[in-house]
Parts: sequence; C-alpha cells; structure tokens
Amino acid sequence: MLSARAIERTLVALATSLVVLGGCNAALEAPFAAAHPDDETPRRGGTLHLASIADIATLDPPIASDMFTSSVIRLVYAGLVDFDRNGNVVPDLASRVDEVDDGLAYRFTLRQGVRFHDGAELTASDVKRSIERALSPTTPSPTASFYQSIEGYDAYASKKTPHLEGVEVEGRYLVLIRLHERDSTFLPALAMAALRVTCPSAGESYSPSLSACGAGPFRVMPGGWERGRTLTLVRNESYFRPGLPYLDAVTWQLNASNPASQAFKFSRGEIDVVRDLSQTDTIRYEGDPRWKSFVALEPVHGMQGDSMNTEIPPFDNVEVRRAVAAAIDRDHIVMLKSSNLTAVTKPVPPGMPGYDPHFEGQRYDYAAALAHMKKAGYPFDPATGQGGWPAPIVYDLARPSLQELTAMSMQQDLAKIGLRVQLRISSLPTLYSLTHRRGKSQMSPQGWEEDFPDPSNFLEPLFSSKSIGEEDTLNYAFYRNAAVDDALARARSERDPAARARLYEQTERVICDEAPWAFEFAYRFFQAHQPYVRNLHGHPVWIADVTDVWLDRERDAVARKEAPLLRALSAGLGVAR
Amino acid sequence: MIRRALSRMAWALAVVWAVVTITFFVNEVIPSDPARMVAGPQARPQEVARIREQLGLDRPVAARYAIFAVRLVHFGTSEIDPKDPKHATCAAFGPVHVDLGRSYVQRRPVVTILAERLPRSALLAAAAVAVQMILGVAFGLFAAARRETVWDMATVAATLVGASIPTFLTGLALQYVFAYRLRWLPFDGYGKTTGAQVTALVLPAVTLGLFGAAFATRLVRDEVSAALALDHARTARAKGASRLGVLVRHGLRNALAPVVTVAGIDFGQLVGGAIVVETLFRWPGLGLVSVSALLDRDGPLIMGTVLVTSIAVVVANLVVDLGYVWLDPRVRV
Repeated sequence: MLSARAIERTLVALATSLVVLGGCNAALEAPFAAAHPDDETPRRGGTLHLASIADIATLDPPIASDMFTSSVIRLVYAGLVDFDRNGNVVPDLASRVDEVDDGLAYRFTLRQGVRFHDGAELTASDVKRSIERALSPTTPSPTASFYQSIEGYDAYASKKTPHLEGVEVEGRYLVLIRLHERDSTFLPALAMAALRVTCPSAGESYSPSLSACGAGPFRVMPGGWERGRTLTLVRNESYFRPGLPYLDAVTWQLNASNPASQAFKFSRGEIDVVRDLSQTDTIRYEGDPRWKSFVALEPVHGMQGDSMNTEIPPFDNVEVRRAVAAAIDRDHIVMLKSSNLTAVTKPVPPGMPGYDPHFEGQRYDYAAALAHMKKAGYPFDPATGQGGWPAPIVYDLARPSLQELTAMSMQQDLAKIGLRVQLRISSLPTLYSLTHRRGKSQMSPQGWEEDFPDPSNFLEPLFSSKSIGEEDTLNYAFYRNAAVDDALARARSERDPAARARLYEQTERVICDEAPWAFEFAYRFFQAHQPYVRNLHGHPVWIADVTDVWLDRERDAVARKEAPLLRALSAGLGVAR
Repeated sequence: MIRRALSRMAWALAVVWAVVTITFFVNEVIPSDPARMVAGPQARPQEVARIREQLGLDRPVAARYAIFAVRLVHFGTSEIDPKDPKHATCAAFGPVHVDLGRSYVQRRPVVTILAERLPRSALLAAAAVAVQMILGVAFGLFAAARRETVWDMATVAATLVGASIPTFLTGLALQYVFAYRLRWLPFDGYGKTTGAQVTALVLPAVTLGLFGAAFATRLVRDEVSAALALDHARTARAKGASRLGVLVRHGLRNALAPVVTVAGIDFGQLVGGAIVVETLFRWPGLGLVSVSALLDRDGPLIMGTVLVTSIAVVVANLVVDLGYVWLDPRVRV
C-alpha cells in the first residue's frame, strides 16, 4: 500500500507537471498559411481579431491622451490631414492644403460628397464646429494647447469670445485656419486625433455621452464597445476612398493583460495578430524559421532615460551629469529585455526631421566618466572605493515598471564612479506628484512618447525653460539654457525644413553634452501575425493601421472553432442577451 | 429576534459609513494628482489645471467631502433624466437617489459602472462559493468518514496543494488544459449568449472554487470528525443508525455553522472582486474596476467600489449571523 507521504509526493509532482506544461509547451504551432500567398490582389471581407493589453479610454477625439486610443479614433474619424506610412503629413479629408500668408495660414479644400457615418454630408462648417468643440474651455482635452497658435485661441479658451476667430468657413468646401505666429508643428498636430471631424450629432460642446460618429473608414458597431471587454468596428460602406477598407470588421479584445492567454489564443487563430508576448514567447517566435516573415519589431515612438534635477546637488554640477551620462552602460540595460529594448543615446528618435544619424549622442565611456567626476571635484578611486559624492542620491520610481529592472543596472554603473543611488519606490500617481513638482525629486526614470512625430514634441516640453512650473512641470530636470530656448523658438517658426532640422541638430548636441538626462533605451513592441493577414505593416505613428489590411484565409483552415461544449450549450440555451 | 436584527443593521450602517469616510480621507492624504492621471503623463500643465478645475479638485477637501456626503443619498424624481445636470449621475430607487458622482477617467456615472459590474462579480462569487462548498463538503465528509486512513491523508495532502498554489497558476493550468488543449471551454471573456456566459463562467469559478475548497474541505473534515467523536453520535450508531445517516445528521449538521460562516464571508469578499482571477479570465467584474480606479486615483470610482465592497461584506456577515439562528437552535435561546 502506498504511504501517505508517497501519495503527497505524487500529487505534488502531478500538479507541478501540469503547471510546467501550461507554462512552456514544447513547440510553437505552425503559422496558418495564406490561401493565395502569391496573389497580391486584395480580397474583401472577413473580421480581423486583435487584442490589447489596455482599454480604450474614450471614443471622443479631443479627450484621447494615449496612442492606442488615438489610433482607434483615427479609424472612426477622418481628419483634414493624416500621416502616411513614412510619417509625412498628407491631405485626408482635404483634397489639398495650401500654405498662405507666408505660413501664417493654411487653406484646406475639402473633398466633395464625403458622408458621415449617419449619412449627412461633411462640409466646412462641420470642420469649424469640430475644432471649436475640441478646443472649447469646457472640453476636458489633454492636448488643446498643441493648437494654441491658432489665432484667437487664448480669447476662446478664456471664454472671451464665443467662436474661435482663426477658423474661417470660406465656402461649403473651403476652410481657412489662421495662426498668430508661424508654427511648423501645426500640421503634424492637426493630423493627430483631437481635431478630427465629428458628426453634427456630436453637437457644439462636449458631453460625456457622445455616440461615436465620424467619416473614417470604420464605424463603431451599435453596442460594439463594451468597456474593458471588446470593441468592434465595421466597415463604413460610404467611405470616401472607394473600395476601402477591405475588412468587414475589426475587433479588439480589451484588457487582455495576460500575455500567456494572448499567446494561446494566437496559436489557435482566435486572434490574428499578437503584440503583447512574454519575453519567452518573443524569443521563441523570433527564433522559429517558419515565423520569420511574419514577425516584426514595431518602429520606435519614444525614448526612456534618467532625468537629473539640475537644481538639486550634485546634479547642479554639469560635470556630475556628464559623468552619469558616460557611466551608464546602455548595452547592458538593453540585455535586460533584449527582444524589446534598443539602446538610445539622444532625445529624438530616428525618422524625425533633425535626426542626425552621424551624431553619436551620449556614449558609454568609463574612463571619461571618472574624469568628469574628478573635474566636478568628487574624484573617485575604483581601486579603494574612496571618494565620490558623499551623500546617497535618491532615485524615485514607480512599481510595477520596467524601470525596476533598468534602475538596478544603472545603480551598479553609478556605484563604479562614486555615486550611491538609493531607490525610492512608490505608485505611479505618487511618483507624478513628486517628479512634476519643483525641488521634490533628485533623480527619476522618465520617458517620452511622441504626441506627434516632430522633434519639437520631444525637446520643447522636456528641455525648454518655458515648460518649467512650480507645481506641474514636464521639464523634470528643471534644465535652463538660453541658447536652447532660443533655438527651439526659432525652429518652431522656421519655414525652411533644412534650416529647421539644423537648429534641432544643434540643440540636441547641446542637450546631450549638458546631460539634464542620461538617455538610455526605447521600447519596441514585437508583433507576430498569421500569414493570412495581408498587407500588415508598422506605422511611424499609429498602432493599428488596418484600413488597407486584408484577409486571405482558407475556408475552415483556421481553428477558430467554437468549443464543442460551448456549441452544445449555445444551441441549448442560445438566447441572445 | 427583531431587535437583534435591527441592532445588527444599525451597526452595519455605522461600519459602512466609517469605512467610506476613512477611505475618502486616506485617498486625500496620499500625495497624488488625479487630474494628472486623467490627462496623462505628457499633458501640458495648463491642460492639467483646466481638467483639475473641471473635476472640482481645486476645492478644499472638507467641501468635497460635504458634497459627497450630501449627494450620496438624497431625494428626487423617480425617473432619471440623463440631460439633467443635477441628477444625471444618480441612480433612483423610487424617490431615493444614490449619487456617487462621475468617474474621472471613464466619465460615466459611477452608479452605472457599478450596476454593470456588480451582478457579474456576484455571479462569479456565487458560482465560486458553490464550487467551493460542493467540493468542500464532499471531500470533507469523505475524509471524515475515512479518518486516519490513507484516503484521509491523501485528501489532506490535496488540500495542502490546493491551498498553496496561487490562483493565477491554477487558472493558467486550467486554461491550458480545457481551453487550449481540449477546447472544451473558452479562454476567457464573458460571452454574449447565456450559453457562452455559462461556459465562460466555468474556468474562473473553478479556479476560485478549488482554492476555497481546500480550506472548506479541512474545515468540514475537522468539524465532522469532532462531532462524530461525541457521545450522541456513537450512541446513534450503536442504536443502529446507518453510517451515512449519522455522518450527515450528526456530523454535517453540527459542522454547518462554521462552514456557512466561511462561505458567507468568502462570498462577501469575492463580490468586491477577485482581482487576479478577473484579470486572468478577463471577467468584467468589480475587481478590475477597483484596481484601475486605485491606480488612476479615480476618487469617485474608488468611493463607489469601496462602498459596494464594504456593504457586501457587512451584509454577508449579517446574513450569516442571522443564519446561525436558523442553523443552531442554541443561539435562539
């Protein structure tokens, strides 16, 4: 007879094997092949199934603050302009955009006959109404100030005028937007979500109970948005680009925060694209030759680094900051999550105007770091461990975050030059209340994701002295440099792209040298898709650019079968609720 | 009896009020800026300031507490007009309105969010407690009847394993076996039809139930064994009562009071949201909502979830207390 202990051992072993089995099943499933892999002619129809770790925050354009929400809004609402696949601003609802008055105004000629999802025709007055609705002082928009160069913005935002003076309806299909100063960021900002055109039913002012309606390629299926659960968009049959979109529908499972479940579903064909894989699964997909053509790293949209408060010692000393920038081994940080991280040495990501591929930025150089410490007056002797900055440096970070990992690497690097870093961990809201206020935080991990793809969007909020505030600052380093301020102001109104790019290049060099931040890494999503998802591509701005994606699936080849038990129950009890 | 019930209810109300008030002020004391959370980390300061004003966060704490308390329960028309700025965020129970304000992040009335989520959490809680009770009583009785045999030991060992494995691991393993390999059940979600909802309920309920069953099994086993060792049980057996009859009538009946207590308290807690299991199975209950409310410092929603959770726990306790009277004649005296 088995002893009780033997039974206990067996049970534990059984449970363990079950769990191990669940955690890492041996081989990846093969991709589901496309039905016509050699035929590039797009086919219409089908539903694209996606999943997102996050929820959609809103479907009201001006309220959007994150890129996932903005990307979905972009599918529902068309804008005057949009970004193409190379990140260039191109006309969208407008058939042409003319710069007039020496860059102080833009005239938009609208396409004629564009229909909203509710059938109404889209005209110039809808454009004006939508812009005024978005920028109204009663609208809780997190991005309104991107458009403050529009003439009359201040008066409108402070309720002094009932209308936004700078937006003029010149004809049924003609809109003129006048600016009170030249602003090279105006068009990129206009291409984002906030000012996209809403149906007349959205009204003149913000209301929390908007029913999403625009003129974009997809419309929201009635009842298709269940918060935190699913969102289903269906094709807008009267979309102004004939033949598009190819898909009948696209649906997201929201709050799909468990990467293991996402991987299961992807290999079963229950979702067609997967973006939130665990580190282990990422490596397996990367290493599998069968998947080679169907995996890709998405483009970088931002950067992460460590901000050093230039008003608090020792970081008021530029040499200490230079030492930090030179002491951090970015290659080591990247190894912590090698499939998603890429080393970054300067603030502006590749692909933007002013990105200079020949400029190295901040470089890991241990000897130089020690030399900077010596120059700063805190020489450190690695052999004896003597010297350096005498007090511990408090580093604020939030949990849970990737920075819990990267901070440890940074901590070890800085210990080697005589800076002893102490981690102070709090929650995200508490972290914000520390790092956004003057004199509260010595050093912290910070990052920036593009609001729109332009160097000004990185450099102005983070490094212009204009963005310093007592109670709420985005210039976390409280960095001030008159030359940087001046160059940023000039670049904003510079109309010659080459001259503008040069100004940003210069600024970037100064910032890398004076090091209010040590730039460290960027996070790239790793995406895998089934081969039958055709024409899927990364986009420099948007997350799900699916307007011209099409499905080429063998009939019944995909295992999106309902579970037998589910089918039986559905048949038995199948009452739609 | 009625006096006892009334006094228990008065106490329950006091407890709920205290919990809600403490939550309100604790949420204020922690340094944070809900307007910043709403606007996003990159919003420009002028935007954050405007949103702060729109949310009424620029008013002093005492004033906000007063507004919250006055609005919480008040009188109004029995129909809610969503356009009426005064009562758009209310829920009406006849002329009595309950108003928890509007969620900062979702911008919907908190009562609407709770009305959407609470029944789903309650459903999952009830299913989980049912699984836990059925397994707990069955295995507990089995072990008690076979006390000190290898079967008893095996059951005890299994409960040890069940109680030690965290729910996310059990859940993932169940998901792997029943959804991924066997394809009997959906991975996660809530389902659109009744049939789909029933199948979607199985895995999260079993995951939670297995965890609870481990404890319930031990409880039933210990209580029943203790009762069976008493003189009257032995006497009943000696007088020719069947083994099963004694087990149920004298063993289980005596064990019921503590088991029902545990089930009631578990139910109350689970209604507040089984955070891990809801996340793993994307079950749209209160757990997910309360976590994101806390992370976003979404004040009105935090108050709403705390209110519902504390009421659930208090009511479950109240029911258990009153249930004793029915279960255990001795309490009636």
